[in-house]
Amino acid sequence: MGSDTLFYLFGAIAIGASLAVIGQRNPIYSVLLLIASFGALSGLYILLDAPFVAVIQIIVYAGAIMVLFLFVVMLLNAPHEETEYDERVHPLLRSGPTRFGVALAVALMVELWWALTKGRETGGFPEGSVSSVAAIGRSLFTDYSFQFEVTSVLILVAMVGAVVLARREPRRPRSPGNQ
Amino acid sequence: MSAFLIAQIVLTLFVFVMLLSSAAVMVYAERKVAAILQQRMGPYLVGPKGMLQPLADVIKLMFKEELRPRAADAFLFALAPMISATAAFAAFAVVPFGAETTFFGLLSEPLRLQVADVNVAILVVFAIASMSVYGVVLAGWSSNSKYSLLGGLRASAQMISYELSYGLALASVLVMANSLSLSDIVNHQAGTWFGVVPRWFLFIQPVGFLVYMTAGIAETNRAPFDFPEAEQELVAGYHTEYSSMSFAMFFLAEYINMVTVSAVATDLFLGGWHGPFLPASLGWVWFLLKVGAILFFYIWMRWTLPRYRYDQLMRFGWKVLLPIAAVNLLATAAGVLYFGI
Repeated sequence: MGSDTLFYLFGAIAIGASLAVIGQRNPIYSVLLLIASFGALSGLYILLDAPFVAVIQIIVYAGAIMVLFLFVVMLLNAPHEETEYDERVHPLLRSGPTRFGVALAVALMVELWWALTKGRETGGFPEGSVSSVAAIGRSLFTDYSFQFEVTSVLILVAMVGAVVLARREPRRPRSPGNQ
Repeated sequence: MSAFLIAQIVLTLFVFVMLLSSAAVMVYAERKVAAILQQRMGPYLVGPKGMLQPLADVIKLMFKEELRPRAADAFLFALAPMISATAAFAAFAVVPFGAETTFFGLLSEPLRLQVADVNVAILVVFAIASMSVYGVVLAGWSSNSKYSLLGGLRASAQMISYELSYGLALASVLVMANSLSLSDIVNHQAGTWFGVVPRWFLFIQPVGFLVYMTAGIAETNRAPFDFPEAEQELVAGYHTEYSSMSFAMFFLAEYINMVTVSAVATDLFLGGWHGPFLPASLGWVWFLLKVGAILFFYIWMRWTLPRYRYDQLMRFGWKVLLPIAAVNLLATAAGVLYFGI
């Protein structure tokens, strides 16, 4: 089996699984299909001769982040997506998030069309730089150190935000004036 | 087909069969050691000294009825044990267990005793270990029973928490060896200091070894960290509703995971197949001895220490083990930078 066949196989799995993620009503299956899609992506990275990126894709996304997703879905134990809107109304006429989703989908289509027709290759990587862990580490901590640090601050901010949102107000002693 | 390819296929099959039989040996060893520690006889009826007991167990399991709760999610219920068993077998594919050998001149070029020599081997082990949690979690959820669900939730929280310390302990060895390939790391530990002390990473990284072993026990859900299947609280935890061979697959996965963790510990900290007295072609004997010693330690721990409380496990993982592992990694990196090992 040539690498072309493998490319089409992994690509088909990635696209099929991603489509099935949004086509699913059961959130648990959505999570699992997303993991399958990540697995296929990591296969594509291996075909691109970047085993480090492939393994990191599995460890970080499929291993750590999706376990948390699954954990939350299991804790909430939501067997099916809750539908609050009126089923009889056409999807495009429903209020709120649906219309926003339509806008995002249109933007994505435009971007895809642009990428497929107008985009061109922006030069290859120097030989061996994507497969060598040392090269990736060096460029992360020298050429891209600013971006790297900014990303870590961003994640820290997100973490602090999550803690603030999730924190319960400490119970104050009741005084008559507080009521 | 070239002789090399045939040898590679035979090697793959050999590793598969070896892992299967290692689970059987472990079941026997666990029952025998437990019996000795508790001053009992243990299994002694089937075969000489009860050695065929695991075989009898397998036959018994095969003839049991396969049950599935009516409220269970049929697809995931069937999928979960497969994920567990597959992940357990797959992780061993990148673990080297002996030096390159030509099998006493049988092959023209030497064959490495390792199914696949990947240059990011250690990360592959880590990735597959992080996938194996899905088997446990999905088993817990799909059974649709409260004991199973609690077991699955505990497993995911526990494995996420201890994976961090596990990864940091691995990273400190990587920094020392300056490579991600397990065979490179083993070859880095060849030879001795002052002619007596073997150059094992255990002696430079004692903290890393302790963190690795502790996190490894928590990752494989073994006592004293066996919360996902705590019998006294959760009946049998995530595999409460499983019977027959699907239960056997979880059982198999647990023992194979132990073997893998021990084999990786041997490669990382105990010098792999390097050892005195034996020629390099018999290095796998040393490897087996070292893995066996760690596995014995595992069993010994299980029958000696009582289970912790769940909040103690979480507090220990996040507030003790993780800071120790992080400081150890920093100190290692500083040491490598300063002394330039």
